[in-house]
Amino acid sequence: MKKILALLLVVVMVAAMFVACDNQKTPETTKAPENTKAPENTKAPENTKAPENTKAPEDTTPVEPTGMKVAMVTDYGDITDESFNQATYEGAKEWCAANGADFTYYKPTGDSTAERVASIEQAIADGYNVLLMPGYAFAEAIVETVEANPDVKFIALDVSEYDLQAANGTDADFSWQYPANLYSAVYQEELAGYMAGVAAVKLGYEKIGYLGGMAVPAVVRYGYGFVQGVNDAAKELGKVDAIELKYVYGNQFYGDADITAYMDTWYNAGTQVVFACGGGIYDSAAEAAKKVGAKVIGVDVDQAPTIDGKYAVGMTVTSAMKGLSATVKTLLGQVKDGSFQGGKVETLGLVSETPTENYVQLPASTQWADGFTEADYNQLVADLFSRKITVSNDTENAPTVEIAVDYQGNIK
Amino acid sequence: MKHNRSLIRNSGFQTFATSILCIILGLIVGYLALLIIHAEGAGEAIGDVMKNFFTRPDSASRMKYFGSTLAKTAPLIFCSLSVLFAYKVGLFNIGAAGQYCLGMGVALRLALESAINPEVKISWVVCLLCGVLAGGISGAICGLLKAFCNVNVVISGIMLNWISLYGTNMLLKPVMNPTGKDTFRLVSKAKQALLPTLGMDKLFNNQYVTIAIPCAVLVAVVIWILLEKTKLGYELKATGNNPNAAKYCGMKENRNIILTMVIAGGLAAMGGAMYYLSDFEQWNVNSSSVPAMGFNGIAAAFLGGLNPIGSIFSSYFITHITMGGGNVNLSHYCPQIADLISAVIIYLCGFVLFFKTMVNNSLRKSDERRIMRQRAAEEAANQEGGNS
Amino acid sequence: MENYAIEMLNITKRFPGIIANDNITLQLKKGEIHALLGENGAGKSTLMSVLFGLYQPEEGIIKKDGKVVRINDPNDANRLGIGMVHQHFKLVECFSVLDNIILGVEPTSSMGVLQKAAAREKVLALSEKYGLSVDPDAIISDITVGMQQRTEILKMLYRDNEILIFDEPTAVLTPREIEELMLIMQGLAKEGKSILFISHKLNEIMMVSNRCTVLRKGKYIGTVNIRETTKEELSRMMVGRDVEFVVPKDPANPTDVVLNVENMTVSSKVHRNNAVNNVSFQVRKGEIVCIAGIDGNGQTELVYGLTGLEPLKSGKVEFLGKDITKTSIRKRSLMGMSHIPEDRHKHGLVLDYSLENNMVLQRYFEKDFTSPIGFLKKDNIRKYAERLIDQYDVRSGQGPITPARAMSGGNQQKAIVAREIDKDPKLLIAVQPTRGLDVGAIEFIHKQIVAHRDAGNAVLLVSLELEEVMSLSDRILVMYEGEIVGELDPKTTTVEEMGLYMAGAKRQ
Repeated sequence: MKKILALLLVVVMVAAMFVACDNQKTPETTKAPENTKAPENTKAPENTKAPENTKAPEDTTPVEPTGMKVAMVTDYGDITDESFNQATYEGAKEWCAANGADFTYYKPTGDSTAERVASIEQAIADGYNVLLMPGYAFAEAIVETVEANPDVKFIALDVSEYDLQAANGTDADFSWQYPANLYSAVYQEELAGYMAGVAAVKLGYEKIGYLGGMAVPAVVRYGYGFVQGVNDAAKELGKVDAIELKYVYGNQFYGDADITAYMDTWYNAGTQVVFACGGGIYDSAAEAAKKVGAKVIGVDVDQAPTIDGKYAVGMTVTSAMKGLSATVKTLLGQVKDGSFQGGKVETLGLVSETPTENYVQLPASTQWADGFTEADYNQLVADLFSRKITVSNDTENAPTVEIAVDYQGNIK
Repeated sequence: MKHNRSLIRNSGFQTFATSILCIILGLIVGYLALLIIHAEGAGEAIGDVMKNFFTRPDSASRMKYFGSTLAKTAPLIFCSLSVLFAYKVGLFNIGAAGQYCLGMGVALRLALESAINPEVKISWVVCLLCGVLAGGISGAICGLLKAFCNVNVVISGIMLNWISLYGTNMLLKPVMNPTGKDTFRLVSKAKQALLPTLGMDKLFNNQYVTIAIPCAVLVAVVIWILLEKTKLGYELKATGNNPNAAKYCGMKENRNIILTMVIAGGLAAMGGAMYYLSDFEQWNVNSSSVPAMGFNGIAAAFLGGLNPIGSIFSSYFITHITMGGGNVNLSHYCPQIADLISAVIIYLCGFVLFFKTMVNNSLRKSDERRIMRQRAAEEAANQEGGNS
Repeated sequence: MENYAIEMLNITKRFPGIIANDNITLQLKKGEIHALLGENGAGKSTLMSVLFGLYQPEEGIIKKDGKVVRINDPNDANRLGIGMVHQHFKLVECFSVLDNIILGVEPTSSMGVLQKAAAREKVLALSEKYGLSVDPDAIISDITVGMQQRTEILKMLYRDNEILIFDEPTAVLTPREIEELMLIMQGLAKEGKSILFISHKLNEIMMVSNRCTVLRKGKYIGTVNIRETTKEELSRMMVGRDVEFVVPKDPANPTDVVLNVENMTVSSKVHRNNAVNNVSFQVRKGEIVCIAGIDGNGQTELVYGLTGLEPLKSGKVEFLGKDITKTSIRKRSLMGMSHIPEDRHKHGLVLDYSLENNMVLQRYFEKDFTSPIGFLKKDNIRKYAERLIDQYDVRSGQGPITPARAMSGGNQQKAIVAREIDKDPKLLIAVQPTRGLDVGAIEFIHKQIVAHRDAGNAVLLVSLELEEVMSLSDRILVMYEGEIVGELDPKTTTVEEMGLYMAGAKRQ
């Protein structure tokens, strides 16, 4: 007993010394600059030039950056999810570092509205006045907190009008007027998915797969858009009968042995390319693809550097991108220069015939070939922009198509 | 002096003291971990963890988050009661997680019937009772398997956890909010199934503060009385400590095992049902693991010294630091740090019994030494007396 | 100056609230058989634990061959050549005799390969030298208890132990085997081994040992030469008063049949034969019927069948004229059947319960102890327990609240006996009721049993102790391999005759 007590004492003393040393050493050191590790693919630059906001900046008096304290609250993922949270986090961090704004993030202790509210209120209590919230899961938390904190800017990503109205109990008539400090951006993922689908078929692939994360609206829009793209391209090329499309959800946003095994079956049965749509789930598709030298399609950001770097060069055919990071930077810029316009939910998609100016696009790293050249892509974007081609964004019902789509439900 | 001595010898006090010791040790280890990761913010971080809602700026929001902490404590109390009750009868109810899940599933399904059939409005009482019943049945399966096929309850419990999880997922799919992955909120679709708050929601400024909290405390007291004061408790504990002796003196051993598991299952299920009928959380119908609440119940039961009253406090403490973990500055630490600290503390909780034995051993030794010294002194005195 | 192999001088060892050894001196001469005699709780086990380094004494020293030694753990004791044959053998059932003997000191080559040949030779040489006949290749579970014990002895000899401690070695043996053991012990002593013989069977001590040290309640009473003493004197030293060896009792006056067993068969859990095979007998009011036999001949299963712990395979049990073959244990108990179980830790007690809670194990549900809504009446339980403790002299550290686990074996047994007899049963089934008890306690319990008979009740006694069987019973039934092979009258039979029945050499 004595020995243990002695040992304890030593531990406490050592601990005390640590603290003492630190206190002596560190007072001058200001907030340590971000020592968080940057994943290797952060360098993939957002090649979207943030489009000028529709409203020209009328008020050009700059708000001094010290007044902006930006906090992000994560949804049920972490900031290393290689998807939503990560893209938002990195975009915001980059912008804040460049503009001298304070930035941190909060992770709720659990996956519930109550806990998200707790994190939001914590951030506000800690003095943050611009909140970034990626993910539809925030709808209820936003409704609960946004009106009580008019001085705090709520910037939500992917929270749809329906989500917000339903959370407010007004989904019957959409009567809720959004407060001026709330802005939400949703994306036309179906367009990105559509482009990827067209690209896959036109690049000569016939046995195609779609591996979604969880069947949340954004993922479904990507998927159904992809189906439509594959269908339209097949019709155009007269290959309706030749095309095989398998469609499944992994029911999680990360890859694991089960999903890899599932992908193995696909690839072994002849699947040539899989659209891996959902966070880190690409790991499973790429892992399986590597074994047979097949291909994958990335999502959200240009995943070619990540996947090719991790698995095999040339594996990534293309990526269906949406400009999360760009949105975050644009909006933070607007907050800074005072042009922030809240009180609305904006659907971001095509804003130009020029592909790189849009919020949904394919990356320059796409493996252009004779069937689908960069010019073909530009034409496709133009057609979509001009609504010569329309893509359904219905997430309730699968699109009506001529090709055979094998819906396999959830893996888990 | 004498009073001190008897206090330190009191078994209840020993359990209390060793639990506190484990907590302190856990905090030290957690602090060391923080120091290693990022020395500068360690003190602040551990402070944030311990302070939990005290970090909030004003008393109203402190009250609100105190309420949230209590709301999350209630289900943990139920789960730890479930574990400790079975443990007293010699059964390790690792199935508490599944029973919790199932109780929640049934209660929520009934409550949310009104989301698909607006004319069917099932009251919270019915939802709760059916949830508890479902948990009881789930427990009974474990008990029956144990009693008649001698299947270890740990094995059947773990298997039933998976069955309950996926069963619950299936059960709740129809009442899933189509725009998300979770079930509907009761507040928007099934107000009648919300647990009454008895005005506590106003007091705490927090709609999640419901009768679940006083119920949990009440049930803990009832369980304590049941175990310590009643014939049934006497029988159950005897069965747990020595099933052969229980059989020998004519107790219905099998009935007792089954009854125990039914009660344990019902307790865990009650926790799940009450928590979700408070609307604090919604169920993710794609969940691929049972809620950790049931497993944390094991830790809470042991930290509470396997005493129903103790488990009220241990459950609160565990919830307090887990919630406090959300306050840690994430610029320096990864979000998992809070879980790490609480896990270390919980891990050390397993040592409560170990420390208790150690304290008793050292007490015994010091006794022996004291007697020896006394004797030596007496002898010396006698000798002196003899010499003079 | 005597030549002592081991000396324990002025050993004092205390536990909280109790002095287990109070200034005890034990001197073991080279080549002698030295008996250590004492009641349960007299401090024999503590003294041996001190010798083996399991406890450190507060005072006193241990000398080996005249030199002071320090024994910190059993390994130290082993190095000093001290070995022990435990009451419950420490053998690996599925290993051969040879494997068990070399266990822990396996001879190996430098490469770590077992070298059994040399070991076998040594074992054979030893067994020849000391007349310990064993088959080195037999599997332990196949051989008799006597041979198992010889294996234990060989284990000590194989380790070149000079000081051999036998802890109640005869408890599990048949009369014949006991005789053999006595011869072996004498042979060992002749070869220069020093033997410490722990027992409370006075006959055996008188038969085999040279000197005897007596302990009582932790105190050293004295050491006597066996040739200069008598059984009576030894028992007086041990108990502190005169002990009656023969229970005074009037002739039995059996009346109505209380228990009627017809063609009872109980299957065995360990082998395919029936443990109890087609047994029929009766027990009447006012008589003590004793089932005698060597351990493992179906007595246990017979009692399980009678009390309801095991179902019958066939046959019928009638109690007070009612068929109870399928009646529950609780009902049998309520009808007036009491059961002092063979294994007090397995069946008799809930060790983690307090003494008072154990005292009401058979009647906690009665309305004296439980209110109509199911609450225990703790005050009544306390009072009841205190009465029994007082009446049956159950000793424990903290009275009614002592955990049963913390009590000595003898007092645990007394508590069970108190509980079962106080139920005032019509039929008392007592299985080895005095197992592990000292002479004083045995006398007390025997008197209780006789008194119970005299009050007009039936007693079925199952015992392995021939002395107990002879002195207590009115009628003896000998069991051998699951069958009753003879009914004897204790007034006319002899121990030798009974031994023949028990060994299966004779049957009626």
